[in-house]
Amino acid sequence: MAAGCSSYSRTEKAQTQISFGSSVARRGLWREAAFRFQKAIEKEPNNARAHNNLAVALEAEGEFARALAEYKRALELDPKDTYIRRNYARFAEFYTSYTRTTGKATGGS
Amino acid sequence: MARSTKLGVRGVGRVVALILVSMLSALSASAGVAQVKLKLPLKPRLPLRGNERIALAPFVIATEAEKARDKRLQNVDLQAEFQRFLKKQIEKKTKLEIVPVPPEVKLPTQNLTELGRSTEFWRALGAQTGAEIIVSGSLEFRVEDRSGYKTEEYVSPIDSRTYYRQVYVEQTGFLFDIVFMVFDGHSGEKILQDEFKDFRQTGGRRADELQGLFENLFSLENQILNLFVARDREAERYIFTD
Repeated sequence: MAAGCSSYSRTEKAQTQISFGSSVARRGLWREAAFRFQKAIEKEPNNARAHNNLAVALEAEGEFARALAEYKRALELDPKDTYIRRNYARFAEFYTSYTRTTGKATGGS
Repeated sequence: MARSTKLGVRGVGRVVALILVSMLSALSASAGVAQVKLKLPLKPRLPLRGNERIALAPFVIATEAEKARDKRLQNVDLQAEFQRFLKKQIEKKTKLEIVPVPPEVKLPTQNLTELGRSTEFWRALGAQTGAEIIVSGSLEFRVEDRSGYKTEEYVSPIDSRTYYRQVYVEQTGFLFDIVFMVFDGHSGEKILQDEFKDFRQTGGRRADELQGLFENLFSLENQILNLFVARDREAERYIFTD
């Protein structure tokens, strides 16, 4: 019983969720990955890696505004991490062009 | 004795398996980061319904004056080739309806800034053709002789040492620059202006200019179509694996 409980608590660890989430992400299952990374954040709200991974998963799902918030949080928690900084720079470039204003709407007929 | 030997083999197997597992986990732990590829959607630059009537008006040819001096530019009808390319791409990859522009239509000016402000002209063209949006702008295509001396590494067969030598390399560069202007066919006002550039370099001094032009155009295809329709863009990101 005790062994069962300890095994259950292990699967609830943030690290386990990140590991599982990253393995499904590599298979393109981004929704499941996002769910896992969210779980990891619930366990460890200050885990920069989990925030970074969630940002990537949200980006893959097209939820760019939420991805931006997650990238910012990841950078806030670990501003020196090269990978997070690189991800954020690339995302910022994409997001800027994505949200660029497109001028006036055409008149419909 | 036999039993103890059997157990020994099992034990060795377990130890080997344990070592392998620990080595693998150590390897994955040291990796820690994986690169993943995402397909990001690019919204169309123009706020369209998708089935508008579109007119392809003439473009200002920025290199028209140089045609007389440059024989290679004389072989390319830039206006016709570009219009044909654009028409084909729009017909194939969008649901926009192309309406013909009468061949006698001439641009009111060759100055791009003034062209953007010619609201009356664009409104009249919109009314004449029934187009909801009108595309125009400017085109620039240059063929450049990029031949010259370049430094090259050279390993001597005599002493196997590396030396540097100057070699003459013949190359041709193709530069293509498009300024797109999109007008509202009802109001005649400019709704978007964007510029795309591409440079290609190929070996040889006599590289074909038409082939060069299409190399440029195909590399800009995604950006051009993204004005009208959503496109995908591949992006790379890093995720932590532990």
